[in-house]
Amino acid sequence: MIDDEAAFAARDKCAVVGIGQTEFSRDSGRSVLTLATEASLKALADAGLEPGDIEGIVACEQDTVAPFTLAAALGATNLSYWAQTGPGGVAPCMMIGLAVGAVLSGQAKAVLAFRSLNGRSEARLGKGVRGMDAETVGGLGSYNEFFLPYGLMTAGQTFALMTQRHMLEYGTRPEHLGAVALACREAANATPHAQMHGRTLTMEDYLASRMVSTPLRLFDFCLESDGACAVVITSAERARDLPRHPVLIRAVAGGAPPDLRPGMMFPVVSRDDMTDLGGRLAGEKLWKRAGIGPSEVDVAQIYDCFTISVLLQLEAFGFCGKGESGPFVASGAIRRDGSLPINTGGGHMSEGYVHGMNHIVQAVRQLRGEADMQIAGAELCLCTGGPLPIGSSVLFRRAA
Amino acid sequence: MAHYLVPTTTDRETRGFFEAAAQGQLVYRACNTCNHALHPPTGHCRHCGGWDTGWRQAKGTGTLHSWTTVVHQVHPGYPTPYTIVVVTLDDTPEVRLVGRLDGQPALQAGMPMEAWFETLPDGTVLPQWKPEL
Repeated sequence: MIDDEAAFAARDKCAVVGIGQTEFSRDSGRSVLTLATEASLKALADAGLEPGDIEGIVACEQDTVAPFTLAAALGATNLSYWAQTGPGGVAPCMMIGLAVGAVLSGQAKAVLAFRSLNGRSEARLGKGVRGMDAETVGGLGSYNEFFLPYGLMTAGQTFALMTQRHMLEYGTRPEHLGAVALACREAANATPHAQMHGRTLTMEDYLASRMVSTPLRLFDFCLESDGACAVVITSAERARDLPRHPVLIRAVAGGAPPDLRPGMMFPVVSRDDMTDLGGRLAGEKLWKRAGIGPSEVDVAQIYDCFTISVLLQLEAFGFCGKGESGPFVASGAIRRDGSLPINTGGGHMSEGYVHGMNHIVQAVRQLRGEADMQIAGAELCLCTGGPLPIGSSVLFRRAA
Repeated sequence: MAHYLVPTTTDRETRGFFEAAAQGQLVYRACNTCNHALHPPTGHCRHCGGWDTGWRQAKGTGTLHSWTTVVHQVHPGYPTPYTIVVVTLDDTPEVRLVGRLDGQPALQAGMPMEAWFETLPDGTVLPQWKPEL
């Protein structure tokens, strides 16, 4: 087994020192490279650094902007470390982990992590998985030949199958899913840059929204957005000399479910328990590595591709018992004044969908004390990624 | 592209499933050493570490584990509504396969399901599932 000494040794040794983002919109009118460049330059300016200070760039494997292309656009001529991770929304937390590894191993003094997509105007994720336009679908290790020909084509349909199981086993109700959508919308209503800032959402609105794939409705789905986010990571020691209050990376952990199957998201249907996520093991490792438990967390950014993904991750990361997430969110726990306010910029549901990266930016804002919907006294913020087929997480801590 | 999505039937790992389907047989991959099923199929057994795996005949019956009725149409060849069913094989709980039913039929978790074989316009045969009569 892996010796956790190294994981403990990484505690609080690195920090996020700069954040940047573009406008989130339905049509940016610009290339993803231009969006990535703008977000990165803003993050660098926020950190008080120049492109030449960046030695490492980490990216999501689904990003069409490669690290070296962004380096070229930025003029980051000292690039000496780069990496891509994934899959998809699992990437941002793992990107933070890559950055920590690069900094602590001496491969890069400062690392830029970014995600850029025109997820609404150019490459809509809701249109199905990659490779559907081929003459025959699947093969080459995708295993999509077992699913696409049956009309199982999207993440939404997959999460609908998981939701149905959760409802059957635990009595989870539409109103429980709606409580997640409403909490995110409430945060967006308080966040001027959020795409749904000016639009309120009631439970009646939620329940009246059209079915997409039963039992999931329109407002169970995240937005599809154009936009980019970037953050700068360096050592905690160096962070003390930079202008912004450092946000320390307390611990990072990924995790796979016990009954992991080969393939991307569709094979989840064969798992012994399709509502038991890899996030559970990620959480167990994270809390151990951090020396901090879920009850101490002040605020959380929970990966919300769908409302059900929030419910399942609240269970996986130990905020409530298995099957108890419905009543937990219905109690108001995840709202602004609850015990665990989540997705405090509006999340993917209502702020914008930057594939997990806007959650990292929001976590940093909360711990700097500069969020639009600021949680008073926030010192610990959990950020999660995923949740299929594997999970990822970071615990951030405000520096003393 | 208003046509069915045709599965790749020549993949080195999965072609046996479609070769059997073309003969009207439903099969799944299993480890010949420890007898665990391996789905989606892999050549290496994660349970015992063995490499001796092969295709086994399934009964063609199962139970309904989950389902979703797709209302929002994604692909022109798949008009909505249709219902995706997830079926646990009676042979082994380690294998679940999906099928498609027209419309929004009344379904119940655990109900018995049976396999049938759909021949796509190009001749490819796809195992499908329907409620047992």
